Amino acid sequence: MAEDLKREKTRADFVDKIWVVFTSLKLVITLLLVLSVLSVIGTVIEQNKPLQEYYRFFRPETVDLFGRLGLLDMYHSWWFTACLALLALNIIACTMERYPFIMRGMKKQSAVLDEKLEAGLTNLAKIKYSLPAETVESRVTAIAGKNFPARPVVTEAENARHFFYEKGKYTRIAFFLTHLSVLVIFIGAIAGSLFGFKGYVSINEGELISSVQARQGENKGLNFSVKCNSFNVDFYPNGAPKDYRSDLSVIRDGKEVIRKTIRVNDPLSYEGITFYQSSYGMLPDTVTFEIRGKNDVSLGNVSAPFGKRVDIPGGDTRIEVADYRERFNLSDGSEAGPVVGVNLYSQGAPPSGIWISETRPEMNRYGAYSFAVKGVKLRKYTGLQVNKDPGVWVVWTGCIMLVAGIMMAFFMSHKKFWIRIGKDKNGRVEVTAGGTANKNKHAFASEVERMVESFREVS
Amino acid sequence: MTNSLLFGVSIFVYFFSMVLYVSYLAFRSETLGKVATFTLLAGVIIETAAISLRWYESYQMGIGRAPLTNLYESLVFFAWTTAIVYLLMERKFGIKTAGAFVTPFPFIIMAYASLNPNEIQPLVPALQSNWLISHVVTCFVGYAAFAVSFGVSFLYLFKVKAENRPAKNPGGLLNYLPASDLLDEVGYKTIAIGFPLLTIGIITGAFWANVAWGTYWSWDPKETWSLIVWLIYAAYLHARITKGWRGKKAAALSIVGFSATIFCYLGVNLLLSGLHSYGG
Repeated sequence: MAEDLKREKTRADFVDKIWVVFTSLKLVITLLLVLSVLSVIGTVIEQNKPLQEYYRFFRPETVDLFGRLGLLDMYHSWWFTACLALLALNIIACTMERYPFIMRGMKKQSAVLDEKLEAGLTNLAKIKYSLPAETVESRVTAIAGKNFPARPVVTEAENARHFFYEKGKYTRIAFFLTHLSVLVIFIGAIAGSLFGFKGYVSINEGELISSVQARQGENKGLNFSVKCNSFNVDFYPNGAPKDYRSDLSVIRDGKEVIRKTIRVNDPLSYEGITFYQSSYGMLPDTVTFEIRGKNDVSLGNVSAPFGKRVDIPGGDTRIEVADYRERFNLSDGSEAGPVVGVNLYSQGAPPSGIWISETRPEMNRYGAYSFAVKGVKLRKYTGLQVNKDPGVWVVWTGCIMLVAGIMMAFFMSHKKFWIRIGKDKNGRVEVTAGGTANKNKHAFASEVERMVESFREVS
Repeated sequence: MTNSLLFGVSIFVYFFSMVLYVSYLAFRSETLGKVATFTLLAGVIIETAAISLRWYESYQMGIGRAPLTNLYESLVFFAWTTAIVYLLMERKFGIKTAGAFVTPFPFIIMAYASLNPNEIQPLVPALQSNWLISHVVTCFVGYAAFAVSFGVSFLYLFKVKAENRPAKNPGGLLNYLPASDLLDEVGYKTIAIGFPLLTIGIITGAFWANVAWGTYWSWDPKETWSLIVWLIYAAYLHARITKGWRGKKAAALSIVGFSATIFCYLGVNLLLSGLHSYGG
């Protein structure tokens, strides 16, 4: 029996100890500072870059070590997440610990200004009048009413009338707002990563898509299609970009449901999925080549649509347009102007890719063939960031709670003020007044001071 | 480019106000103190005119945007808000001797700004947003409040250190400095103004990022450093409000906080890469 009791007691002690740790201010401050120090690491070591980038700066074994420690994606590493989880537990524990105190602070106060209460008040003032009690009461309460718009609680006790004024009682919930807001933001972020996705899609002008490339790698099908009617970009006279515009249509069951021109800072949303203007580019629609074979004999013109293998006349080789660059730098650093990337397929040889330049025909050779670009029909495409985040509104709710809570915590307080109108030993009317505030005591003291000053002027 | 002329004048005026505040600390003449305050005020007025003129000129150039969009403009705005926050604190708390520790900021920041390119550039698409003004203004007024707190905390540490040394000349400089308690209080009050503003600045930034790029938080170095600054001041406020940390420890944390602020503002742009490459 004694053993059991002892064990139970140790367990209780253990729970108590954990509770003390989780509600201690030391843990809060340590966590905040540890989180800030850890965050620094992620800004010094660039996060989520391709491995080759790291090899440029670090030795392979260092990169390997970083990778194993989670330093290359540290904001999602188990230890960073653990710190955030600890912070969340810490906030929950502190909120539970503070709950009864805050509730007690919001409970009804004694409406009677007795001697015990008097002793605890700052700025206590006693003023004597040679006026009838009714006159004093109406004037003094009128003055107090200006500072405290809510009706006072009036009580008759101990041969005196007591007036209890109160304002800003609910500013005491500032603690809950600021602390729970952090949890709400966490919940929103978790919801977003569980039920949402981020992706990218490029749409050629005039074409439509009905799936996007999610960041996790898989293709994400949509319940609708998005068509890019047109894409345009404007430039300032100095050449800097001024405006990117994609004219988009959302098409569902063959019908256009929304049409909107999106810009940077002005996305399109449909069914919780949002399309953001992110990039743009050009792709060749059709390229016409003049091809020469052995002994520089012209084989005629060949028009190759993008991505299609086209036969080169008089042989077994096929050509496919795969890419286009407006500017191209050769390995010696010189400019080759616009180039078309093509793949060439010959029987019995592995496919081979070459760049065909519009301005530098000497580089356009493949085996016995030489190529000249006769015409390029380009097609613009718009690059869109695609995002679904059902948690985002939870995050904004948390942010609003946080700001409201901080404002209340720093700039508002729960103010209480009592007036007692009675008689002194000599039968003269005597007003006793004083108040307390839970914060900004100095400012409230001068507010009371001014009221009392006005009380004295009553005659 | 008349605005740059006015900015040039304001650098000189800020310089003189700094000299005057330091001489006020040295000679303790009330007249000198008044002149120092008025000089700083004059600097603010000239700079206000310069900023307004720059705004107006951008409209005349057909660009038409708030002057808050590159490193030069943000520096100038930072200097301006620091001077204003200090003047307000001086008026409210009568801590004129702290001026010698705060007024170097407007001057140094303006001088540094003048080394940066100052043409009025048109806005790239990402910056064309209604969130620009609210995001930049809240962040920088917050930074300015932290700068003032830094100056005052510095003065606090300076005073406490001097007090602990055996007095050489009673009735000297030490007695002339504001009471330590007051310095401590002002150091806290300015953070209590800066922290809510930084919070709003981070949130408006997140909201804007969500509209422009589709993610409200991407652990970009600028975002992360603003969070670091926020965490440090959050630690300060918890330590102070709940545990009653005052004096030296609080002043030291305020100094650490402001150092992180400066890194968040300038260090990130100069040393790290990221989304804020245009220098805001």
